[in-house]
Amino acid sequence: MQDTIHLENSPLAPKPRRRRARRGGYRKNLMAYGLILPSLVFLMAIVVYPLSVGLLEGFRYHNRLQPWLTAFNGLDNYVQAWGDNQVWLALRTSFVMVVGIVGVSYALGLVSGLLLNHKFRLRGVYRALMLVPWVVPPVVSYISWQWMLNDQSGMVNQVLQQLGLINEPILWLASSKLAMVSLIIVGVWSRFPFMMITILAALSSIPDDVTEAASIDGANRWQIFRHITFPMILPVSVIATLLQAIWTFNDFGLPFVLTGGGPANSTTPLILLSYKEAFQRFNIGYGTALAIISMVLMLALGAVYLRMQRREGVYE
Amino acid sequence: MRREATMASSSALRTEPPKATAGAGSTSTAAFRRKRLRRGIGRVGTHVALLAISAFALAPLAWAISSAFKSDTEIMTNLSIIPSQPTLDHFRVVLRESNFGRWFLNSLLVSLGTTVLAILVGSLAGYAMSRWRFRGRGFYGNSLLVIQMFPGVMLAIPMFLLLTKFHLIDTLWALLVTYLTFALAFSVWMLKGYFDGIPREIEEAALIDGTGRLGALRHVIMPLAGPGIVTVAVFSFLLSWNEFFFAYVFLASPGKFTLSLGLYSFIQQFTTQWGNIMAAGVLATLPVLVFFFLLQRSLTRGLVAGATKG
Repeated sequence: MQDTIHLENSPLAPKPRRRRARRGGYRKNLMAYGLILPSLVFLMAIVVYPLSVGLLEGFRYHNRLQPWLTAFNGLDNYVQAWGDNQVWLALRTSFVMVVGIVGVSYALGLVSGLLLNHKFRLRGVYRALMLVPWVVPPVVSYISWQWMLNDQSGMVNQVLQQLGLINEPILWLASSKLAMVSLIIVGVWSRFPFMMITILAALSSIPDDVTEAASIDGANRWQIFRHITFPMILPVSVIATLLQAIWTFNDFGLPFVLTGGGPANSTTPLILLSYKEAFQRFNIGYGTALAIISMVLMLALGAVYLRMQRREGVYE
Repeated sequence: MRREATMASSSALRTEPPKATAGAGSTSTAAFRRKRLRRGIGRVGTHVALLAISAFALAPLAWAISSAFKSDTEIMTNLSIIPSQPTLDHFRVVLRESNFGRWFLNSLLVSLGTTVLAILVGSLAGYAMSRWRFRGRGFYGNSLLVIQMFPGVMLAIPMFLLLTKFHLIDTLWALLVTYLTFALAFSVWMLKGYFDGIPREIEEAALIDGTGRLGALRHVIMPLAGPGIVTVAVFSFLLSWNEFFFAYVFLASPGKFTLSLGLYSFIQQFTTQWGNIMAAGVLATLPVLVFFFLLQRSLTRGLVAGATKG
């Protein structure tokens, strides 16, 4: 799903003031159940019900072109996936995408966060400008990147040619290797604002006197960063990185709009492959099985995230 | 403000020692000057780096705006960001020869619907999460977090089958309900966080006055949670306005498209007419951009405050 800055509502949100638990009988809490009921209805209809249908689909042969052949086939879909080269290639693509995008966007977010962590004029302006990628509708920005990276008339190649850095236009999106690089650049562009704002928030919670004391004791800037600042923003960094890894893995729009998964499937992550199987090749059963594999992988990461978050709460 | 004061005092501390210890004037002023020079270079370096990052962040939008105002011949040749002969032709084409108006309206309807419902439904559930320790509370809260980690495809495939069965496929309702569910996943948590910060004593007074729980929520709690509601509104609106995947799976007839989907179909329709495509993109971005810059200050303050309390 579209990744808004969810982070602050969950692990970093103001912690509840611990009152004695009001765990009465069901009667006493009837009102609470009434209050969550409307949201439960939507959760049931949009998540729980489709999910259970989907879990069944993952264990069936179901092709929309041959509906009469639909039948329960046990683990056949998963056996097929294990032997499917496309799946392994897609998993590799997902992995490279996640590591590249999350790693670089964290580094860029950290640098911008550190640079913006002082009061100076224009600070608000820079921060607002850097948040722009987060607001622009992804489809608009991906199409614009496509236009900028176009081989012949794209702005990037034209500028590089005029500067004399290249003679031949670079095939940013049309060659298998570079398509992945382009995908990572655009992914970093869209994700680093989240990292920046999260790290900035974590940095501003470090009390000034700690770093002051260190600098009076003769620590230089690097030592202060290495031994004080970084350890203090580490927990938030891990949580933000985990969340971004999950969202990047699940990102359908980026590869679909920017490269369409090509050339030659070189930028087709598992999510996109699952979509193509289900909706373009009409293999509902197999496509769902691939989606289930993605989900299991993400739930594993998600479990780590939830545990981290709980531990953070304990330390507080 | 407070931060600025401590920064000032810390820099004073840092420059003081050489003056105090050296005593004799000349060496200390030389060291002082060198230090100031180094700090000056550092400051210039900071701005260069920040400018480079901001340029990277702004590039696609800036280039889209620039291209939208360039004529078809200029767009291929002029590398300047300022068009030499600005034209509105592309905007005219987009507004006259496409369904753009319809798509804009569809996006607006779905986004506003999602926003209003996310606040209403979310505040009820957030209130329950904040004030009661009911059985299943932890499970309910965690489920909301887990939803954000589901691959969209995992839900989209079965939902596509179900919506087809119930004849709800290719309707904006299907989209509205889906976006609402994802918006709830954060609106409940965020509003709960804001409600936690409101002392119980305030609403207890209202309860004694004979207002019911819902009355207290509406007249006492909600007005105090203003910034939280603004944040939830902005997130929900952005989420629905920018969403592409579910729209792509659920909608089929061009009259029902939302903006994201319509723009995507533009690449097929106008293939290499980048001016038209960019003009449409700029028009689609305008509302969220205005929205964002109006609320930017309070938004980031809300975000940062929420994040640092944890």
